[in-house]
Amino acid sequence: MGALPPTDNGDAQYQSVTLTINGNVGCMEGVCGSCRTMLRRGKQVTVGLACQTFAEDGIEAVFLPPASAPQHHYDIDDFKDGWDINARFQEIFPEASRCRHCHGCDNACPKGIKVENGVAQAAAGRYRDAGETFFECIMCELCDVACPELIAPAHVGLFSRRITAHFHLRPPNLINRLEELRKERAGSSIIESEEE
Amino acid sequence: MSNGIPLAEARARYSPDADLGPLPGLADTDALLNAYHPDHLRGSLVNLIVGANAGESCQRELADLLQAEAFIDEADLAGTQVSDVDVLVIGGGGAGCAAALMAAEKGARVLLATKLRLGDSNTVMAEGGIQAAIEPDDSVQQHIQDTLRGGHHAGNPELVAAMAGDGPEVLRWLIRMGMQFAQTPSGDLHTRRAGGMSTPRLTHCRDYTGLEMMRVLREAVIQHRSIEVWEQSPAVELLSNEHGQKCVGAVLTSLLDDQLRIVRTRSVILATGGLGRLHLNGFPTSNHLGATGDGLVLAYRIGAKLREMDSFQYHPTGLLHPSHLAGKLVTEGVRAAGALLVNGVGSRFVDELLPRDMVCAAILRECAEGRGIRVDEKHVGVWLDTPRLERAQPGLLEKQFPNLMSRTRVSCVDPRYTPLLVHPTLHYQNGGVVIDTNGATTVPGLYAVGEVSGGIHGRNRIMGNALLEIISFGRRAGIAATANRDRGPKKVTLEHVNRMRRALTLAGLPLARRAPQILPPYAAGGVWNR
Repeated sequence: MGALPPTDNGDAQYQSVTLTINGNVGCMEGVCGSCRTMLRRGKQVTVGLACQTFAEDGIEAVFLPPASAPQHHYDIDDFKDGWDINARFQEIFPEASRCRHCHGCDNACPKGIKVENGVAQAAAGRYRDAGETFFECIMCELCDVACPELIAPAHVGLFSRRITAHFHLRPPNLINRLEELRKERAGSSIIESEEE
Repeated sequence: MSNGIPLAEARARYSPDADLGPLPGLADTDALLNAYHPDHLRGSLVNLIVGANAGESCQRELADLLQAEAFIDEADLAGTQVSDVDVLVIGGGGAGCAAALMAAEKGARVLLATKLRLGDSNTVMAEGGIQAAIEPDDSVQQHIQDTLRGGHHAGNPELVAAMAGDGPEVLRWLIRMGMQFAQTPSGDLHTRRAGGMSTPRLTHCRDYTGLEMMRVLREAVIQHRSIEVWEQSPAVELLSNEHGQKCVGAVLTSLLDDQLRIVRTRSVILATGGLGRLHLNGFPTSNHLGATGDGLVLAYRIGAKLREMDSFQYHPTGLLHPSHLAGKLVTEGVRAAGALLVNGVGSRFVDELLPRDMVCAAILRECAEGRGIRVDEKHVGVWLDTPRLERAQPGLLEKQFPNLMSRTRVSCVDPRYTPLLVHPTLHYQNGGVVIDTNGATTVPGLYAVGEVSGGIHGRNRIMGNALLEIISFGRRAGIAATANRDRGPKKVTLEHVNRMRRALTLAGLPLARRAPQILPPYAAGGVWNR
């Protein structure tokens, strides 16, 4: 992977037939996060997405079972006040500040997200930054599996993203249109009640 | 067919700076659609013989499934475990999650059953965006008009008005749930204009709009105390009352243990999505693995009326290469951002932002008339000129389309330097189960939302209306299904299955084929058998 040369490698690249570990079955785009696989090449064991891994000689693959139920619970509608959100986060995800920097999550992430960094940002209350770090997260939850402290980094990332939108996304164009529609409805309900 | 210009020749001719010549005018759109759109392929349509739509036109492969025998009969239900809930949602994509969340918010005990993993759906793959009339010079009325016009005026104006009117409120709800959107420097939601829109109306989260929506809704569903989720649990049949006239539950199976389970309920919400994985007319598809049209089959067997079962959307720009991504989409957003379509002789041939059915037909015309680019006997396509776009707006592809970039990076194709080879791909089921503005079908107790339902998109959907529809109608059905406070079923039967079997027998149709299909043949028995 990495940057590609500006010149292409000829017509062959258009004609080669490619086969992924999951037999070209699934979303194939690495977005649904379902085809979690443990891979072994000789002595090297890694995890990844089957649909993003090409079949090769000597590779062994085991599909991982679906993730278990989440261990961290919150209801976003329970958050009334943005000022105490960091305290709430520490209650919900107490493990997040206990990261031992083992890089297990970073190594597990099939999208190359700097997971450990994202968890640190969230633990420091920088939810917008943490959310941006997790932007490409597909919720495969391989980082959750990899974490010895049971931090559930994928859910920390999603919490960060959701909190950011929930408390800070207030777009003027949307707000103006909602207000217009509210007035229209109020107007039409007055007309209706006059007619009655 | 030796149709098309050999790849090597086309590549030699291609240059991102070449003069593309003038865009030829489009004389007669109807003639173009009739001649080249896959819906009009000879032999593609048949008339249904039994059921609520008997006598009406239907795509051939779908008709075979609608007029098939069920998997189970009464003997299979004896001794089966029974669960009771207020609302059963079948389908774990965006529509199912929205319906479940609203039903739960209104106080229902909800069971959400899904064939694969919660969130495995076409929602997660939707890239482009969600339409809502929020710009000052836009209006709900314009949104309605664009949607109806894009659908060739076959849509139900009442449903379209309901959806378009919900648009701004849907965005507000999604933001409350925690979904992020791209913003302008001044904080407005950023909008794009895409095919069939009279003005910019497409809000988005870069090219991960569906993923962002799905991961937020999925988390909200998992976290909700009143929603139980059963994964790997496809529905094999609905249940009816003793007269076969009302839907009172469903029979689910499990991909893990193959056990049947009965769910008794007051309301069933079908949110099973589309049918791309049936590969109609032999086309590749952009759809997720589970899109096998199960909801249509179940609804039709219990007596629900369907509509536009002869109309499907083929997305113009499916990838032809790399082969493992064949049929996967290059979002229309790339064309909305300015990428052009170029044929094998190096000319433009269609306005790239016409509605999808016309662009699709135009590409198939180029391929049929020998101006396509031929990779091999079976694979002919046209260029999507991304290098030209990159030159005009350096950095745009990387900044706005990270999904496209990371997907193609795996295959060592860089769209900044190499044009993409594209061909139309089966993308969306325009029609579906007939519903009202509450998502209620013609069968009491049965609701349908999202791609499985019909009537909004007419005969062609425009971009960004699918993500809006699933939330708008998902919420509506969730509320309506919860408002149904009758005492629940006295008796659950398969009377509708018996009725359909009698009709099939009387019509002399074979009973050998069974449906719903649940998984495409190339996946059945493979993925989850551990």
